[in-house]
Amino acid sequence: MNKTADICVIGGGISGVAIGYFLLKNGAKNVLLLERGHLAYGATGRCGAGIRQQWGTELNCVISKYSLDFFETAQDELQYNGDIEFHQTGYMLLISNERELEQMKKNVALQNSLGIDSQLLTCEDARQIVPILNTDNLLGTAFCQKDGHLNPFHMTQAFADAFKRLGGEIMTYTDVTGITAANGRVTGITTNKGFIAAETVVNAAVGWAQEIAGIAGLDLPLFSERHNIMVTEPVEPILGPMIMSFSLNLYCQQTPHGSFLMGRTDDAQPRDLRMTSYSGFPELIAQSVVNVMPALKNLRVLRQWAGLYNVSPDNAAIYSAASDPKGFYTAAGFSGHGFMTSPATGQSMAEMILGLPPTLPWQRMDVSRFDSGELLLEPSVV
Amino acid sequence: MYTYYIIKNSERGINLRIEAHPILDFKRGNPVSFTFDGVRVEACDNMTIAVALHAAGFKGISESMLKKRPRGLFCAIGNCSSCMMVVDGVPNVRTCLELCKDGMVVETQRGKGALI
Repeated sequence: MNKTADICVIGGGISGVAIGYFLLKNGAKNVLLLERGHLAYGATGRCGAGIRQQWGTELNCVISKYSLDFFETAQDELQYNGDIEFHQTGYMLLISNERELEQMKKNVALQNSLGIDSQLLTCEDARQIVPILNTDNLLGTAFCQKDGHLNPFHMTQAFADAFKRLGGEIMTYTDVTGITAANGRVTGITTNKGFIAAETVVNAAVGWAQEIAGIAGLDLPLFSERHNIMVTEPVEPILGPMIMSFSLNLYCQQTPHGSFLMGRTDDAQPRDLRMTSYSGFPELIAQSVVNVMPALKNLRVLRQWAGLYNVSPDNAAIYSAASDPKGFYTAAGFSGHGFMTSPATGQSMAEMILGLPPTLPWQRMDVSRFDSGELLLEPSVV
Repeated sequence: MYTYYIIKNSERGINLRIEAHPILDFKRGNPVSFTFDGVRVEACDNMTIAVALHAAGFKGISESMLKKRPRGLFCAIGNCSSCMMVVDGVPNVRTCLELCKDGMVVETQRGKGALI
C-alpha cells in the first residue's frame, strides 16, 4: 500500500498529534501521522501529567505559559467529545536550602515579569494550602495556582480527533524502517505498511527521536533515559497541588481519581530504550514522599511503570530543521516536560515548516545551539 | 434501578456455615462480638470480618465507586477491593484478611475513604 502525503509526522504521542493539529490549523494540507503502536503508547501515556509554568529560564517560562493558555481553552478549541480533565490545582515547589531559596526568588521574579502568577510562600502559608505537608526541614515554597494536572490520554485523543476533523490521517501500528532522500531532499518514508512519498518529514518520535534521526543520517545530541512512576490506591481528595522538590528529588500529586502518583530521578537508569520497571524504585520514592507528607505512609501501592525522558544536553527541547536532508524536521529532547509544552511544540513546528512568522522564539531552540554554545540551561528540573 | 442485584441484608436468616466437615477441622477460635453498622454480630477471633458477615447473612458490605451499587465478598484473598470497610475508624481495610476482634466497630464505607 503506497501513499503520498505533503507532510508526514512520525510519532503519535502528544507532540506528534499537536504538530499535526497545528499544521492543519495553520493552513497545511494532506498531513499524515504515523505511530508504531497506539496513540500515547510512548512517553506521553507514561508521563506524570503535570502542567507547570514555574521555570528558571525566560524561554521555558514563555513556552509553558503559551501552552497553559492553550490548555485552558483546548476543550472548546478542539471541540473534544470527552473531558481533557484539566484541573488547575497548582504546583508547589519545596525549598529546602539557601541555594534553592535564592534560585526560587530569581525564578519567581522572572516568572512574574512574564505574566506568570507565581509567588513565594512561608511554611505556614504552604500548610494552609497543603495541610499534610511536613515543613520541618523547609524554608518555604514557591506556588502557582494556575499550574495543574491534565489527562495525557484525553489530551492526545483531543488533538488527534481535531486533527482528523481538519482532514488529517493517522496510521497506527506503522513502523518507520527507512527515510529516503535524493539530491539532499527528503523524498519519502519506508514503513512496514509500504512506501509513503513525502517531501516533508517531522520527527516527533521523542523517546526514539535519535533512532529516527539516525535513519535519516543525522546525529542528534540526545539520549532516552528510563524514568519511573508509582501510583497508590485512591482516597478522598486531600492534596490539591503537585508537590515538587528539586533538592529532595521528588514529585507527587493526587490525581482527580484520588490516587497518588509519584516519581523521582534515579541514578544509573538504562539508556537503551527499556521501559521495564525498576525494582529499587518503590522503596526510594516512598521514603522521599513520606518524609514530605507523613500522612501518606499507610497508603497501599497499586503499581509502578516506566517511560522515557528524551534528554538534551541542556534539558531544553530541540525544534530543528535539518540542512541535509532538507525537509527533515525534529521536535525532541523535551527532558521530561514535552507533555506540558506540546501546544508550543505544535505551533512552533508548524510555523517553522510552513515558513510563518514566529509566535514564540523557536529559532533559539535549534540544534545548532550546542555548537554555538548558546545553551538554554534549565535549573529547575526533576 | 439496580434492585435486581441487591441481596437485602434484612433477608438474612439462613445459616450458611458448615458446622461439621468430613475432612477439614475448623479452628474458629474464641467467641467474640462486634458491630456492623450498629448491628451486633457474633463471630470467633480466628475468622475474618468478611467471613463473619457473610456467614451472618450480610451480603452487601460495600458499594461501588461511581454508581453506588452494593458489593459483597468477592476474591476473599485481599486482591479485589470489594470488601473494603471502615474498621474502628480506619477506611479501606480489607475485611477478607482482617480477623475479628471483640468489640470492634465495623461500618460500611461510603466513598474512597479519608486519609486523615
